[in-house]
Amino acid sequence: MMTRFGLAISKNRKFLPLAATIFLFIIAYSFGAFSYAGMRDPQAFFTLFIITPFLLISAIGETFVVFTGGIDLSVSGVVALTATASAALLQAGVNPWIVFGLMLIMGMTLGAVMGTFIAYLKVHPWIATIAGMWFARGMCYIISDSEIRIYDPLYKLLAGTKILIPGLADVVTKKGAYITPLVVLSMTIFIIALFVAHFTKFGRTIYAIGGNGGANEQSARLMGLPVDRTKILVYTVNGLCSALAGIAYSIYVGSGHGSHATGFEMTVIAAVVIGGTMLTGGEGYMFGTLFGVLTTALIQMIIQFNGKLSSWWTSIAIGVLTLAFIGIQSLLVNINAKKISPIKLTDSDAAARKKKTALYGGIAAVVIIASSLIFYFVDKNAKNTAAANPTPTVTNCQLKPFRNDLAKQFIADGAVITYERNGGMDCIDELSALYPDGRIVSDNGTEKKEKTVTPDQINKVLTDINNMEWFTDNMYSTYHKPCDQCFHYNTTVVYQGKSKTVEAVDGGTDAPSEYWIMSGEITQLVPVFSK
Amino acid sequence: MKKFLSNFRFKKLVESKIFFPLIALAIILLFDLIVIPGFFKLEMKQGHLYGSFIDVLRNSVPIMILAIGMTLVIATGGIDISVGATMAIASSVACILINPTIIGLKLSQDISSLVGNSTYSFTPLWLVILVPLIVASLCGLWNGVLVTYGKIQPMVATLILMIAGRGIAQLITNAIKIIIFNDTYAYIGNGWIILPFSLYIAAFIFAIAWLITRKTSIGLFIEAVGANSRSSFFAGINAKRVKLFTYVFCGFCAGVAALVVSSSIRTSDANQIGLYMELDAILAVIIGGTSMDGGRFSLLASMIGALVIQATSTSTLALGVPASAIIAVKALVVVIVIILYSQQVQGFLRKIFGTNKQKEVKE
Repeated sequence: MMTRFGLAISKNRKFLPLAATIFLFIIAYSFGAFSYAGMRDPQAFFTLFIITPFLLISAIGETFVVFTGGIDLSVSGVVALTATASAALLQAGVNPWIVFGLMLIMGMTLGAVMGTFIAYLKVHPWIATIAGMWFARGMCYIISDSEIRIYDPLYKLLAGTKILIPGLADVVTKKGAYITPLVVLSMTIFIIALFVAHFTKFGRTIYAIGGNGGANEQSARLMGLPVDRTKILVYTVNGLCSALAGIAYSIYVGSGHGSHATGFEMTVIAAVVIGGTMLTGGEGYMFGTLFGVLTTALIQMIIQFNGKLSSWWTSIAIGVLTLAFIGIQSLLVNINAKKISPIKLTDSDAAARKKKTALYGGIAAVVIIASSLIFYFVDKNAKNTAAANPTPTVTNCQLKPFRNDLAKQFIADGAVITYERNGGMDCIDELSALYPDGRIVSDNGTEKKEKTVTPDQINKVLTDINNMEWFTDNMYSTYHKPCDQCFHYNTTVVYQGKSKTVEAVDGGTDAPSEYWIMSGEITQLVPVFSK
Repeated sequence: MKKFLSNFRFKKLVESKIFFPLIALAIILLFDLIVIPGFFKLEMKQGHLYGSFIDVLRNSVPIMILAIGMTLVIATGGIDISVGATMAIASSVACILINPTIIGLKLSQDISSLVGNSTYSFTPLWLVILVPLIVASLCGLWNGVLVTYGKIQPMVATLILMIAGRGIAQLITNAIKIIIFNDTYAYIGNGWIILPFSLYIAAFIFAIAWLITRKTSIGLFIEAVGANSRSSFFAGINAKRVKLFTYVFCGFCAGVAALVVSSSIRTSDANQIGLYMELDAILAVIIGGTSMDGGRFSLLASMIGALVIQATSTSTLALGVPASAIIAVKALVVVIVIILYSQQVQGFLRKIFGTNKQKEVKE
């Protein structure tokens, strides 16, 4: 049995990174589902797709480039430029479909120019694409120094439409698991990319060019493959993907600015690497990229669900994963190289090598154990000192319970909305009550403030909230332990004799999007406390 | 005419590494001279030399220091894209050593009140300088070990620290911008001894690197490893150790740059310090004419490359281009450099100046 298993592995070694990625994804997801109830909901799985359409589209383009042994760092720049330029065009009143077309042409042109530099002037891809990224980002700021918001109805439609999953959702009540149109777009592109990479002449040429430290490129050239043309085409395709990703990004974020998607290229490259594609080119599978993207999204999601871990753990975790996958790949390469190597090891050499391996392995083990011990004790000490010194520092915002009694009292006094917001960087705790006559009373625990607006404004908020299906099952509490910088909200609304309280924490992706529209509307009305 | 030129050793200058960077610098400075009035005006104020040109020099110090380390790494045929992240880590360590209240360590109230004092530092200042340098060197060591013993492609190996580095820096500082009140520490980036103090630091690092590479055999080893790793191995050079040394030195340079930057802006912001700095450093090296494939290098040319980058930024700013849009201009500079350095144009230029060796033989 074991020999058959071993044989199967050694025969299909090229699938090992891919298998490792899928295995890792399943393990991580099971861990998440085991630890956090919220992740057992099928919607959590679809959320992984909902929060990453632009990452997936961009990673697909990048995978093509990496297959040829190149790299494209301009993706984040092109994404930002697409978002900014389309926002500016939409502001000028251009038809969104024309904007889409223009953006795609722009992305392809940028990609083609970079590709030409790389293929004909023999510029290192790193340099050429950095120039591309700088150019694109600089252009964003030349278009506009400040953020441009997008109000186009088509964008809102694409962002807000929920496509219910048959079998997992109730069509009548419109409740249950759903995806967005962007997910459909990204998956369509993914399927096209799968076909192009593995079943077309273009795809085979891409594979032929990459790998073996540039030697394969030489062989491909000698075989008569159109190397230069393919290279330019690959960068053009990536430009197209970046522009598409930029459109998806602007739909998802709803605005355009030069600082959008900073560091996005590194996430994309990390996703490609985690997907099992070799950065030296020539090896890897488009299918792995999908799992690479999902795994990065999953890390983000688990850290959000955990609530206790801060956001920077995401980048550390992705770094560690990248390291692990690069480790696996270089191990595989070394094994292959040893197999091909004509030099036979003598016994003494083999013994020396074994000793050496044991030495390095031992050192690695000691380092890992030591660092984890240090981490453990530092963590423990930090907790102990925090417990011993309850002096409030800026970071350690004490979790405050919602002041439900006071809120109930406000409701009894005739308030129609009570809105409590606490936490955040400044560790605030503000409870506001909105009365139907336009009076708003706010209390932050130490001082009180009053403000008056017109009764119509209050009425508008109330009807808006009702229209957002506040009193149906579509609005539900999603309270979990918030992260350090996040706000938590507790909102009670009384309308036409109905009353309902909904709690949520921002920073997560699980609360209904209408909740944030509601909270935005109320925040505009309530008085502001000075810090 | 050709004879006349060769008498002036013009040929030698054209063939030397610093010729093209010098031309690039000259073009930009000429541009500044015409467009910006008073660009070269120097003023003495309270014993300090002030002026736009001094500003260019001063602002280019971090890029210069990084470029020195980067030159050596690139000369061995490698690349280190994690220097920006290393800077973030090193400056976070420095700031946490000066002002550790922020991470909620057990400090008594009277110490906490001292933090705002301009002479107060939690740990002795020599430690504040030394520890970040060691940490940065360790980051370099990590990269070097991955590249040499892990046999991972340099760009990929350093990518790991680049992705994780800022996360680690945020972990150290709890993602808080730490403000530094200590005046002695701030002197590193803000002090003046006629010229800005940081310039002397850059000169010092340059001198060290120059001595190591030109007065010992290490420089030769680096060029040998970069030119042909295999033949240098057969020549008895321990390529791994040479590479390891360059990565550690590059990390060390990133540490020095981190001290300069964090002390001059008096904060440590894990997200902003050293952002895109690795790109500037690589660009400086490339403008300096060191090939990305490794081989011959010139530290001085890289320094001039750093000056070119900073002079470009400064002159674009003076033209009224918004600060955030400068990168677009930088991109154009890169494109010009790429075209200038491409084989086609180089061959053409050498033909014009008559330094083509084949031609010489024929004559």
